[in-house]
Amino acid sequence: MRQETIRRLFSLLLLSILIVAFGATSKLFLTLPNIFTLLREASVTGILAVGVTFVIITAGIDLSTGAIVAFVAMVCANIFYYTTLPVWVALAAGLLIGAGAGYLNGLLVTRLHLPDFIATLSTQGIFRGLALIIAIRSSTGSISNKVITNQGFLLLGDRVSVVYLVTIAFFVVALLGQGILKMTPLGTHTYAIGSSRKSADLSGINSDRVKKVAFTISGICSAVGALFLTARMQTAIPELGTGLEFDVIAAVVIGGCAFSGGRGDVFGSVVGALFMAILTNGIYKYNLPAAFHIIIKGCVIIIMVIFDSVYHRRMDDRIRKAGKMLDQAAAAAEAAGGGAGGIS
Amino acid sequence: MNVDDILLRAVDIEKSFSGVKVLKKVGLDIRRGEVHAVMGENGAGKSTLIKVLTGVYPRDEGKIFFNGASVTINSRQDAKDLGIAVIYQELSLIPTLTVAQNILLGQEICRAGILDNGAMKLAIRKLIETYGFSLNPDAIVETLSIAQRQTVEILKALSMQSSLIIMDEPTASLSVKESENLFQTIGALKKRGVSILYISHRLEEVYRLADRLTILRDGERIAVLSQGEINPRDVIRLMIGKELRQSEHAGRMRPSRPEVVLRVRNLSRRGVFSDISFDLHRGEVLGIGGLVGSGRSEILHCLFGSDRPDSGDILFEGKPIRGTVSRNIRSGFGLVPEDRRTQGFIPLLSMKRNIVLTNYDHLVGRRLFISGKSELAMCRDAIQRLDIRPANSEIHAGNLSGGNQQKVVVGKWLMRDLKMLLIDEPTAGIDVGVKEDIYALIGELAEKGVAVILVSSDLPELLRISHRILVMRKGRIFREFSEGSVSQEDVLKAASGIQDREIESNE
Amino acid sequence: MSKTMSARVLIQKFQRPLILLVLVVVLTLLQPDAFATVSNFKSIFLAISIYGVMVSGSIFTILLGGIDLAVGAVAALSGACTVLTIIAFNYSDIGVILGILAGLLAGCFVGLMHGVIISKFRVPAFLITVATMNIVYGAAELLTGNQTINIISPASFTFVGGGQLFGIPFPIYIVALMAFLSFIILNMTVFGRQVYATGGNPVAASLSGVPVFRTTCAAYIISGFTAAAAGIVLASMNQQAISKAAQGYENDVLTAIVVGGTSLMGGEGSIQGAIFGALLVGILNNGLRLMGVSSIYHTLVKGIIIIIAVSFDFYSRNRNSGLLRTGRLRLWMARQVAILMKEEKHQP
Repeated sequence: MRQETIRRLFSLLLLSILIVAFGATSKLFLTLPNIFTLLREASVTGILAVGVTFVIITAGIDLSTGAIVAFVAMVCANIFYYTTLPVWVALAAGLLIGAGAGYLNGLLVTRLHLPDFIATLSTQGIFRGLALIIAIRSSTGSISNKVITNQGFLLLGDRVSVVYLVTIAFFVVALLGQGILKMTPLGTHTYAIGSSRKSADLSGINSDRVKKVAFTISGICSAVGALFLTARMQTAIPELGTGLEFDVIAAVVIGGCAFSGGRGDVFGSVVGALFMAILTNGIYKYNLPAAFHIIIKGCVIIIMVIFDSVYHRRMDDRIRKAGKMLDQAAAAAEAAGGGAGGIS
Repeated sequence: MNVDDILLRAVDIEKSFSGVKVLKKVGLDIRRGEVHAVMGENGAGKSTLIKVLTGVYPRDEGKIFFNGASVTINSRQDAKDLGIAVIYQELSLIPTLTVAQNILLGQEICRAGILDNGAMKLAIRKLIETYGFSLNPDAIVETLSIAQRQTVEILKALSMQSSLIIMDEPTASLSVKESENLFQTIGALKKRGVSILYISHRLEEVYRLADRLTILRDGERIAVLSQGEINPRDVIRLMIGKELRQSEHAGRMRPSRPEVVLRVRNLSRRGVFSDISFDLHRGEVLGIGGLVGSGRSEILHCLFGSDRPDSGDILFEGKPIRGTVSRNIRSGFGLVPEDRRTQGFIPLLSMKRNIVLTNYDHLVGRRLFISGKSELAMCRDAIQRLDIRPANSEIHAGNLSGGNQQKVVVGKWLMRDLKMLLIDEPTAGIDVGVKEDIYALIGELAEKGVAVILVSSDLPELLRISHRILVMRKGRIFREFSEGSVSQEDVLKAASGIQDREIESNE
Repeated sequence: MSKTMSARVLIQKFQRPLILLVLVVVLTLLQPDAFATVSNFKSIFLAISIYGVMVSGSIFTILLGGIDLAVGAVAALSGACTVLTIIAFNYSDIGVILGILAGLLAGCFVGLMHGVIISKFRVPAFLITVATMNIVYGAAELLTGNQTINIISPASFTFVGGGQLFGIPFPIYIVALMAFLSFIILNMTVFGRQVYATGGNPVAASLSGVPVFRTTCAAYIISGFTAAAAGIVLASMNQQAISKAAQGYENDVLTAIVVGGTSLMGGEGSIQGAIFGALLVGILNNGLRLMGVSSIYHTLVKGIIIIIAVSFDFYSRNRNSGLLRTGRLRLWMARQVAILMKEEKHQP
């Protein structure tokens, strides 16, 4: 069976185990309102995960998503606090900043040749710092988190009957992401550079451009997530999204993306995001310490990293042995045949 | 011969690297729809010629005509645009994508920015059918065998309308059956008017496939033979050069001392080599010849402990070894690996630290701290014994010349009580003077009773310093030369898998 | 050698102290009353003492071509372990000793885990340490019950972070000791040589008999140990244990090491450089504060400093020795990024 299939089944299995476990132990779990709440919980992580999926498929990593969320949120809060500009200006500004932030990551990686994790770790500090700098302050200089009152903007945090808008956005973004990955040349190239950068270059693909696009998509997704999160919280704080990048990365790798690149897709990441949301929900429901949440995140990442490594080594070994075993059998046969020929 | 028949003509190609001429007025004509083989010993200039033709290296002199028009090829892209494709030895496919995605990578068919899967599938199916390959376009490449991957590479080349496909040692990692399939593919290509430039070490393939054969030696075109003129004896003679057949260039095998240092029995590593058995005697230089990829270096690594064999016994001084590298080093092993830069030394560390690295057990023993003085003394000793230049113990090993780097790699083993030295391609990319130094050193060591195993693709070198020669082919020991005079021809024939009698029967 | 040459060599050799000197002179001129005072220098040293201790151990992992991003979390965990043990032993002096041991042991254990996983499975160090960072923070949070645990006695414990000896704050002795030990280990022991060799070229090192697995484990254990030590000093200094105690310290540590000229590709760098980096960042922070630049700019500035330092490292070496570089870059990528997982070609 293909690795993709195994991984897909594995992540679905994990998800269903979780659902069955919580469904069996809690009557409230499988009720419609709770399901829609769960979907809402999963949505912001999920939207970010769509973008990070692109980066991880290129064999990169993006640690700056949480900080981009804070920065974008803070920009919107500023716009609403200091101006009376229409909502779309704030939305456009947020998306633009997200795209710019992602593009900056891409530039650092492709132009300055920084390793992905160093580049995005640094920009994490930078964006978080910027959010802190532009935070709205009272006259004494301490940060005051002003409530956003723009009704148009707050609609983003609202719902249509039972479905939250953010959930709809999540599925739209996921469909778009999956479409780009599977139905455009860009998607194919994203897989190509992640799987084997050298081969992609030999096939005439501009790897740097693809890498920059992947980071930009991640930045845009972070911005989209930030807008919905801000609308729901009705305010922006500089600490918004701290540690969110790890939720996102855990979701993406549960869904089947390999850190070594070239594998996984957005649907997997959607499953991963749902998994993380249900897990978090369960942890709260059973009154477990919140610490379990980050512990599980960490464990998930470690297990998946090790899984990839072991899988690849196994795969390489198998190909080496299978390929050359034929060869040796043939060589032996050849030697035997040669001998026989000599005798006759 | 009709001029229109010529697809590619290269005239008087010259190329030198740092003053050394690698190609001297080399010419090459490839007709439409022919399989044109190029042969030559290691270093004859085959790969340089290909790299010039495909735009990897710019040429110094000469002209290239393609389809009768003079062309300049300055990059891989230029070559691709002309219709020259290379099937790389290290395959250039994306393992996680499907066959179809790989073939059309970078030239996807789109409608309004969306991939037109139907059209692409159709194109691929057509391509596969035209050449009669059996290949599923939806298969993931990483699940394919090496041979199938090669087919994908060929299809990729064909999808770009290539009229000349260059194959560099295409059967190196294929089994006999797989090679057979490849030969059929080549036949199919030929019928469709595609020309093939076929580079191979394997004589038997060339006899079988080639319409014409160009032989290179020392950067010159020695001969162009047409199919009827190709026979083993002449080809080997032309490749080696007449003058080398004189007895002084043949190696004299020497009887070895009776004392066995290393006994290897039925050593196998799946997929790499199998059923290797031999004895190594005290003070003996055992040469291992054979083509690159025949499993020679891997044997050294298994003996040294840096790889594990799947089965078989290695007895060192009568006792089985199953130890780690460091334990083996302590019992007197040394390894000079094939690839200096990635395996031999540490470029950013000083020469001193590189030389001392293997010898801390002697230098420090059970003490806690290193004495800088003794480190320096050891390094000075090595510099003196090996004549390393510049004689500066603090210089970064990465900044030395290739020859001196090799001296450092050898030097770290000389500073200890060595019993067995495994040397892999000791003089690759090293200038003549240093080569002599290294030969003298190996001789000296053997004289002192060190057992040496030498892996080399350089035939004169192998013949000159070995006391005994094993020739490997496809992971097995194919022949042993242990007495009398051995010529390059003998070794070459054995490495290509030709038994003596076959040659006789051909004559 | 001509005189000008030797002058240049001299400048090159003492480049780092010179930079510090210039910085100190400039700041003294700018802020004569506030900067060049004994108490200000004390506060500078005190400020860098925590991550100075971490740097002394973390540098081992970076010299190996790895990285340890969990140092902040380990510090939090060890602080919690120490404080809780002391409380369990009723604030006795025995409790202090046991507590410190418990904290250090926790750090070493996390380090051992890092070393084993990274070396056995050959996976990128940053992924593993970022993941354990989460786990260890979680563990610290569980231990402290996500609350601040105050500890104002016994004196033997609060002395570690808050005491003075001969008028000099005690943590400064600890940094000095750690840095000195690190210097000795890196420069005068076989293990130190093996760390450099493994970082410079792991394949060649292992073929030369360097026990790469053991060396890697030891390096990560040392990093965990110093992070734990820093956590204990921090807990003592703040007289409290809190799971967020040292959040973000990994960035300071990374900045100091990279600014100090240690290459992220491994095999090159020194503890002197890293301590210089720590001092430079500490003095810069202090200077900025004295000049009225708000601390909210610090994260921003640190991010930019890392980017500049790492890309400077790349370019300076790219220019100096292109060939050397490409070979090493390939090596590094083969190890750090996941290429290794996939093309884990057994090399010969």
